[in-house]
Amino acid sequence: MTDRALDLLIDEVVLGLADEGAVARLEALAARDPDIAARMEQARQRFAPLDETADELPLPDGLWERVQAQIDTSATSKPARPSAPDNVVEFATLRGALNRWRGAALGGMAAAILLACVLGWSMMNTSQPLVVAVLLDTQGEPIALIEGGPDNTTRVTLLERPDVPSNQVMQVWTKPDADGPPVSLGLLNTARSRVLSVKGLPEPHPRQLYEITFEPDGGSPTNLPTGPILGKGLAKAPVT
Amino acid sequence: MLGVARRMLRRSDLAEDALQESLVLIWRNAHQFDESRGNAKGWIFTILRNRCLSMLRREDREIPVAPEMIEDTPDHLVLDTAFHRLAERSDLRRCLETLDAGTRQAILSSYVLGHSHGEIAGRMQAPLGSVKSWVRRGLLKLRECLS
Repeated sequence: MTDRALDLLIDEVVLGLADEGAVARLEALAARDPDIAARMEQARQRFAPLDETADELPLPDGLWERVQAQIDTSATSKPARPSAPDNVVEFATLRGALNRWRGAALGGMAAAILLACVLGWSMMNTSQPLVVAVLLDTQGEPIALIEGGPDNTTRVTLLERPDVPSNQVMQVWTKPDADGPPVSLGLLNTARSRVLSVKGLPEPHPRQLYEITFEPDGGSPTNLPTGPILGKGLAKAPVT
Repeated sequence: MLGVARRMLRRSDLAEDALQESLVLIWRNAHQFDESRGNAKGWIFTILRNRCLSMLRREDREIPVAPEMIEDTPDHLVLDTAFHRLAERSDLRRCLETLDAGTRQAILSSYVLGHSHGEIAGRMQAPLGSVKSWVRRGLLKLRECLS
C-alpha cells in the first residue's frame, strides 16, 4: 500500500467511514507496526477537538448502578436461552447471537487499537495497578484516571485541566469500606497528575469509590470531603 | 460524553445505552493505557464513538420511541454548531475552512453524525462516487494543512 493510500485508510477509519473489512485490515497492520499505530493516534488527535463541541448533558440517574450491574452480569455466565426444536431456526436467537458477535468484534477492535497504542508503555511498566477508576464529573466528562496499587500508592492522571478556585486545592478521597467514611489519599496542590502515597489503609478493592473534591488550602479542615465534587467513579480490577 | 453519543445517535435513550456500554468497556480495559502520553481522553472517546458507530450501522434500531427522546435539530445546524464551537484559532478549524463547503460538510457529517458515504450522498443528493472522491481529496488536503 502506498503511503498516501495508508493515510487515507487511517483517516477513513478515524472518521468512521471505512467498512468493517478495512477497519480490520488497518487494526492488523497497526498491531504489527508501531509506526502505523502512532500514525493512527496522530490522526485521531487531529479530529479529537470535535469531541469537545458536543453539548454537555447531565448524566442520567442510576447510570452507575446500571454500569455496575452490567459488569457483574457479564462476569458471571450468561443465562441459558430456551432452546427451540432442532428443525426450527429461531431468528431472534440468531440475531441475538449476531449482535453479540458484533459486540465482541467491537470490543476486540477497541482492545487492538489500545494494545497497539500502549505496547511500548506496557513493556516498560511492569507494576500493574490493583484497581482502576475513571472519574466523571456531573456532566459525564471523564476528568481523571485513578490507578491504585496494593500499598495504596495511587496514581492520579488528570484528563482535564481543572479550574481550581483560588486558595483551594484538590483532595483525593476513597472509601475503603463502602459503608464507612471517605478517607483522604492526599492533595493535588499543583493541579497536575501525580502519584500519592498513604499508609495504613487496606488494599483497594474493586467497586471502591474514588472521588476528587475542592478543599481549602492544606486540605479539608474536618478530614472529610466538604467542597464541591470535581469527579467520582467506582474502581474495577483490571483484567491481567 | 453523553453529548457526543446523542449527537451521533439522535436519541437520548440510545445515547445512554451507548454511554453505559462504553463505560463498561473502558472499565475492562482501563489498565491498558498510557498516562504519560496524555491520550487517555482520546482513547475514551474512541471507544464511545466506535460503540455509537456500530449502533448506527445496525439495522434493528427502528424501535418506536417517545417523541421527547428524539433529537430533531436538522443535521446542518448540528454540524454548524460543532464547527463554530471549534476554537477560533484551532488548526482543525483553520484547515476545515480551506475546504469547499460541500467537502467540509461531508467530512463533518462522518465524524460528528457518524454518517456513512451512502448517507452523506443521500442527504447531499450527490452520486456516491463523487462523495467518496470529495471526501478523499478533502482528507488529503486537511492532512497537508494540519501537518
